[in-house]
Amino acid sequence: MTRQNFGVALLNRLVKPFRFLRQNRKGKIIFFLALIIFPLFVFIVTVVLPVAGNPFEAAAEDEAFENSEALPDSTPAEIVTGRRELAQKMAALEIDQAFLQTRLELSKEDSICLIVDLLDSTANLEVKGVPMRRCKILRYRSSGLARRLRGQGRLHQWLATPFVLQEQLATLPKATIRIKEAPKDTIEANESKGEDLPIEQRDAEFTLHFDRNLTLSVEQIQPPSFSGRLREFWYDVRRNFNEARDAVTALMHLQLPQHRMWIEIELSREDAKAIYRALPTRAGLALRL
Amino acid sequence: MSEELKNSAAQPSALSEVSPNNENIPEADRPVTALEEPQAPPARSAAGKALLVGVSLGLFLALLTLWLAPVWREWMFAILPESKFALQLRTTDIKQLQKEAQRLEKRVAGLQKKHAAITPRLPYLIVDTSENRIQVMKAGEQLHEGVCSTGSYVLLRSAAQQRQWMFVTPRGMYQIRGKRVNPVWAKPDWAFIEEGLPVPPLGSPERFEAGVLGEYALELGDGYLIHGTLYKRMLGMPVTHGCVRLGDEDLRIVYKNLQIGSKVFIY
Repeated sequence: MTRQNFGVALLNRLVKPFRFLRQNRKGKIIFFLALIIFPLFVFIVTVVLPVAGNPFEAAAEDEAFENSEALPDSTPAEIVTGRRELAQKMAALEIDQAFLQTRLELSKEDSICLIVDLLDSTANLEVKGVPMRRCKILRYRSSGLARRLRGQGRLHQWLATPFVLQEQLATLPKATIRIKEAPKDTIEANESKGEDLPIEQRDAEFTLHFDRNLTLSVEQIQPPSFSGRLREFWYDVRRNFNEARDAVTALMHLQLPQHRMWIEIELSREDAKAIYRALPTRAGLALRL
Repeated sequence: MSEELKNSAAQPSALSEVSPNNENIPEADRPVTALEEPQAPPARSAAGKALLVGVSLGLFLALLTLWLAPVWREWMFAILPESKFALQLRTTDIKQLQKEAQRLEKRVAGLQKKHAAITPRLPYLIVDTSENRIQVMKAGEQLHEGVCSTGSYVLLRSAAQQRQWMFVTPRGMYQIRGKRVNPVWAKPDWAFIEEGLPVPPLGSPERFEAGVLGEYALELGDGYLIHGTLYKRMLGMPVTHGCVRLGDEDLRIVYKNLQIGSKVFIY
């Protein structure tokens, strides 16, 4: 069979279930209506409405920024430029202020927290305000929503208090616990002394879901091993499934699914592992972006 | 079957009257005639089939849309126009704005100062249990770096005594509570159980062992120590029962720099 013939045969096979629609106008209308109605409903409810009414847009008004009217067209160019520069400077200062306030608030707590500064490309582990491990962020990506909020000078309102960890998903365990039964006598104890320590070579990739709709994904910069890739695939499936599940749960409670502000950072494997293992279950996060 | 139906089956219908001409022709190639119009039932089943196939495909597409919803939303954020009110300020008075900006700058500088003041002035120790390393720090600057051994994450279970111990180095902030030279180890119960030995009573001389903790020991509280070791080849590995073990030189530096009350940060 030539390639062309094979193509035609394949096309015929694919089209065959829909042959009954030929010369059946009513059937066609029913088919297309039934085809479109569910995806369209899902698209409107899970995409259009959450974007149109995202909770970050409706943040409270700030002292300095408000939805005032734009300057009239006749305004001299230098005033427009100066005003824009000032606005940008003030927005950046507001974010700095929010970030520092959050860190100070976290320093009052006893537990280890995470400080992510995307402008400085650092992710630090801190306790009581003292940095314990400084990690270099080698690459990062963030949601388009962040850019929009920054453009509106509203990002600092969202960053003004610490985020609290709600849920975490990872390719590595929090701790590799080994169970050892107590030996019956010294002979058995001496036998078990020769046992080698397991060397851990697991890939480090994890997702932290914080309150206020923030998701932080951390990936190692090193390419994963084969088993690591399989684990990563399963982890991605679980992550996507969880998002879909959350959307369905929200719909069942007659609520609109919310868009999560996501940030993806890439660190070295050692840094990623150290951060994941050090963070407690309700860890706090201060963020600057 | 009723009599009427039997008769209708026996008598040729309008369709069967024309069928002799087409009976040997395949159905698909048969010419459509006006007499074939009464085929209403096939049309209804086609509509049902259309509904079934449409709904099945529609549900599949709906699931796909649900799965891809986060991607769709990101795409919408990218294509939607920026708000026309972006970065508008309350006033057009540049001087007032500059004053507000200066006030903000001062506030940020004040917060930075406040945050910098948190870092201890005295030397402090950072212990990394993930990579088994230590850092002696002073005012945010590193004075010394070295290797250590921390908790093994072994759960020791004793069926005979119905007890268990977890050998973990606790994380968080601690303080040096005491400093000892040539420390003597007061062996806890697990040290005997792990060796397969009978547990002696409290205060028994068997419980005390000199020379195994190195030259110095620094107390962190709850029985946790920073001390030396005889097993130097194990340094850099998670093998301890919760204490922080150091090599001789590192221990000397830590002992010299850290005073009672100095902070120890473990992560």
